[in-house]
Amino acid sequence: MEFNSIFDYTLIYATIRAATPILFAALAAVITQQADIINIGTEGIMLTGAFTAVCISYFTGNWFLALIVSMIAGIIMSMIMAVAHIRYKADICAIGTAINMFALAITKFGIKQFLGTTGSFTDPKIAAIPRINIPLFESNKYLDGLFNNWSLMEVFGIIMVLIMTFMLYRTVWGLRLRSVGRFPMAAETAGINVNKMKYQVMVISGILGGMAGAHLSIGYSQMFTENMTNGRGFMGVAAMFFGSTNPMLAWIGCLLFGFTDSIGGRLQAYGWPSQFVLMMPYIITISVLTVSLWRKAVRDAKIKSSLVAEQS
Amino acid sequence: MNEYIVEMSDIEKNFGQVKAVDKGQFNLKKGEIHSLIGENGAGKSTMMKILYGIYPKDGGTIKVGGGELSDISPKKAIGHGIGMVHQEFMLVNELTVLENIILGFEPRKKIVIDFDKARKEIKKYIDTYKMDIQPNKRINQISVGEAQRVEIIKTLYRGAEILILDEPTAVLTPQECKKFFEILNNLKADGKSVVFISHKLNEVMEISDRITVMRQGRFVDTVNRNATNTAGLAKMMVGREVFLNVEKKKAQTGGTVLDIKDLWTSGEKELSKIRGVSLDVKAGEIVGIAGIDGNGQSELIEAITGLRKVEKGAVILDGVNITNCSPKKIREGGLTHIPEDRNLRGLNRGMSIMDNLVAVKLDRKPFAKGIIRNRKEIYDFSKSLIKKFDIRPDDPQALTQSFSGGNAQKVVVAREVDAEGKLLIASQPSRGVDIGAIESIRRILNEVKANGKGILLISADLEEILSLSDRIVVMYEGKIMGVVKAEDANEDNIGMLMMGGIPAGMSEVAGGEA
Amino acid sequence: MKVTNKYVNLLFTIVISMLIGAVIMLILGFNPLEAYFQLFKGAFVGKLNLGTTLQKFVPLLLTAMAFAISSRVGVFNVGVEGELYLGAMAAAWVGFTFVGLPAPIHIVLCFAFAMLVGAVWASIPGALKAQWGVNEVCVTILMNYVATFITSYLVNGPFSAKTGVPQTPAVAAGVKLTQFMKPSQAHTGLFVAVAAVIFIYWLMSSSTIGYKFTSVGLNPFHAQYTGIDPKRTMIGAMLLSGAVGGMAGCIEVLGVYGYFLDNFSSGIAFDGMLAALIVKSDIKTVPFMAFFLAVLKSGALGMERYTGVPKAIVDTIIAIFIIFATMEALLAFNKKRKAKKDVQASSGKQSEQGGLKNGI
Repeated sequence: MEFNSIFDYTLIYATIRAATPILFAALAAVITQQADIINIGTEGIMLTGAFTAVCISYFTGNWFLALIVSMIAGIIMSMIMAVAHIRYKADICAIGTAINMFALAITKFGIKQFLGTTGSFTDPKIAAIPRINIPLFESNKYLDGLFNNWSLMEVFGIIMVLIMTFMLYRTVWGLRLRSVGRFPMAAETAGINVNKMKYQVMVISGILGGMAGAHLSIGYSQMFTENMTNGRGFMGVAAMFFGSTNPMLAWIGCLLFGFTDSIGGRLQAYGWPSQFVLMMPYIITISVLTVSLWRKAVRDAKIKSSLVAEQS
Repeated sequence: MNEYIVEMSDIEKNFGQVKAVDKGQFNLKKGEIHSLIGENGAGKSTMMKILYGIYPKDGGTIKVGGGELSDISPKKAIGHGIGMVHQEFMLVNELTVLENIILGFEPRKKIVIDFDKARKEIKKYIDTYKMDIQPNKRINQISVGEAQRVEIIKTLYRGAEILILDEPTAVLTPQECKKFFEILNNLKADGKSVVFISHKLNEVMEISDRITVMRQGRFVDTVNRNATNTAGLAKMMVGREVFLNVEKKKAQTGGTVLDIKDLWTSGEKELSKIRGVSLDVKAGEIVGIAGIDGNGQSELIEAITGLRKVEKGAVILDGVNITNCSPKKIREGGLTHIPEDRNLRGLNRGMSIMDNLVAVKLDRKPFAKGIIRNRKEIYDFSKSLIKKFDIRPDDPQALTQSFSGGNAQKVVVAREVDAEGKLLIASQPSRGVDIGAIESIRRILNEVKANGKGILLISADLEEILSLSDRIVVMYEGKIMGVVKAEDANEDNIGMLMMGGIPAGMSEVAGGEA
Repeated sequence: MKVTNKYVNLLFTIVISMLIGAVIMLILGFNPLEAYFQLFKGAFVGKLNLGTTLQKFVPLLLTAMAFAISSRVGVFNVGVEGELYLGAMAAAWVGFTFVGLPAPIHIVLCFAFAMLVGAVWASIPGALKAQWGVNEVCVTILMNYVATFITSYLVNGPFSAKTGVPQTPAVAAGVKLTQFMKPSQAHTGLFVAVAAVIFIYWLMSSSTIGYKFTSVGLNPFHAQYTGIDPKRTMIGAMLLSGAVGGMAGCIEVLGVYGYFLDNFSSGIAFDGMLAALIVKSDIKTVPFMAFFLAVLKSGALGMERYTGVPKAIVDTIIAIFIIFATMEALLAFNKKRKAKKDVQASSGKQSEQGGLKNGI
């Protein structure tokens, strides 16, 4: 097994490429988690966005329109969740799972009804999200492999992480959101409309989730398959937990998953049974979740312990 | 011109079937300190929460500054200059003092927070009212007294002219209280008006200009402070002559039932970590732990009862080492426990009276054979306990969910006392309980003592400690400041110890074994 | 009054969802009355139809109960699908490996091993939640994928029957559960499942174990204080839940197929879970909701065959039904939730309580 052909510079971009759909899902989960809403429905929102994007792109040939409409589709799905959970007090995991099932059902129905086939749909007419081509880089192998031909979404993803971090920790809106998620009563008595903020983050989450799906179907690939998200929405949620709801740390988590995903593909070429390879991201996610919470427990115990010398 | 800046008339408020406020009346003059008193469940907190917009009213009118207000929300109330400091502080643990103060009223540069401006403004309040706080610390890093000051500054920062304080002295020592009253007088001198919700009659008599009494949701009377006294107030609150001093018999002590040796355990705050506490309780005596809430009492009890890990030292129950044993084993060793938080620990609110009463005996005959439960036995057992302890309603299958504080506490007391352990730990047994129930609980504690059990009593209510205990242990910042015999104890020397000082005329007794 | 409200609300939700389904059908040019007629005919009329309904009912019932059991202690076992697969594989393996054992012993061994595997699998997220507060919804969903991959590897690799179809060798003839309603696949596993459910119902309502589950689920702090160990109870509930999930898989293999087939479940456990969620995991009503879903699923086949209305419409209606049910159900079934909220609100403390609550 050639170590060098697995771990080479192309792995860096491959990691970023694989991490991007998970990143948008993770950001969708982060923003709602700040309001103490676990967005289990991210998977369903993503799937809906993916399907919508392919549909619109196929019928209009316009990738930008497809992106916008998939964002709207994401908002519709997230608003169903929002109303059910906030107004009608549905349990968030229940309605999240319900949305996931709903997305599976309507996309299955849609692929037959609108695209005339079942299982999987692909067509050269699908307009993809463009890549940024910098002719200047083409001369150098490394620059070309590392920085050239990035999809718009991959760049935008990183920008989104920075925007969200700024919004959360430096703006008025972000401070209020953080209070809403941690102690809603305190926010209420400060005159903050807790429910309004919850609706706001659900809308943002729907937009991000829809974008995640759009990138998956017309950015990362050019097709739609039934259940195409295949757990990536949940990995986004896991990355959110990994980062303790901090966008920058969640991004690290996404890179980790992208990394294992890319390695997996390469190892597969060397005859490792495909299932073990495909399993890896999920096992790593579980481990990461466990380790981060275990470390938190250890940290808390240390802070509270009487045996530790008095801190000022 | 109306002299009242707040007028509440004929207020009605229902929570489901329960009538919390029935024709409530309250008015406030500008620049006065007006106390609103009553037993638990009297409706005083509810009245003020309605004024502040936390609950909508079901009837009546509210006027602020002469103009009628309807559909009040906290935001609207704040806009009209009303601020409220709640019993449970509305502070977000993970955010800093500064962030908590400015929350909702942030000084801004477009969408970004102007942190410098915020710091400057807060410093003004610290200097004007002499309230010491640290803006950059997180709430989970500061003391309770400081947190309260943060809450007050928060209301002032939001432009409050009317301050509603809900049981503010519940967490303060007698000396911190004095300082707190000075702050109140400073506020009054500055033209602010204060509503002081309390059930502590001595304090109310000290600080108020006028006093309004509520009883069972209804308005009783408003009196000038000069026209009344504590006995008069108590009578209005309860509607009968109140005898709070239950006769205390001298203890006839036997062997040691509880022996705590050099205990170290973790703490939620730095000041509540236990570092080297030793004390003992003998059969037939009541040992009272006095101290302001949050000085480690909760942690100490949790460590004894197996709900918190003991990091160093030992707990010995009737000769058996139970350190870090499971709660189940500790109970089997003869420990019973009335916890300080009946909603969290004491009861399962979602279950019926009978399921709650049988909770600690559920695996044993005759209530269960193996894993099969015997419903009839449990029912009969519950019925007899309900009768003995006067629990209302008297249906064993009734859910405990909507029980009042006093009734709920009776269920807990019934269960623990019936279990007839060797040691009974009673933690804040009268907190949030009406006077009638308090009397019966204190009577029950004395009966348990007369039956030869040992009782470890923890209370933040000094009067309760003084009236029940045979020996008093004072805790401060996780350590024992002193042990005083009942006949030597009074409010002054115990109060001093509670603040970490050594009372005049007392030799050093701090830290030693009782 | 509150009890009848619960059922009325449920009925109301069903009616609304079916109306929405009817509207969708109309838009697409189908006749909803005919479609629903064929739906119910397809579920009940004729041995094939009724039998299919019964056959689909079994795994739905068991997976719904599995979820309801863990919900009792406040743990959402979304990993029943994984337990189903692993239990199925375990049963298949015992079934085709230990040929020659007397049939009664062999069957018991199949069930026992399947339930053991399911229990152990479920105990992992249970332990993680009990000890460190790891979100079990996330972990169990991820573990489902791992379980599917494990069984996929096994059925395509070491356990393959090498027939070109991804299946294991057939189990011994003596182990197969009799199919009593040919030409459908309804089998005697139905009676095993019903017996199991009756036992579980008794366990939850009349045993000390049921009491402990309920106590921990409503207020783990109180439970701990009274001497019940919440961590152990949570893990115990997950063990039981996983065992039932494993049993479901075992019955599918022994009753329907006779071998393990790759990807044989198209989300059966998720449907079961949703049946439980709709009735808020109320042990009494879960079986009825599971049956109702079985009716819908089985009837959908007939509906598609006779009217051309695609099956996916039924899935959509079910999803809409569930969306409404999670809302409506809560309005009526306030008692337990309010009790929980009171505990959280009045404790005055905020989020973290260590291993007993969800940590962020």
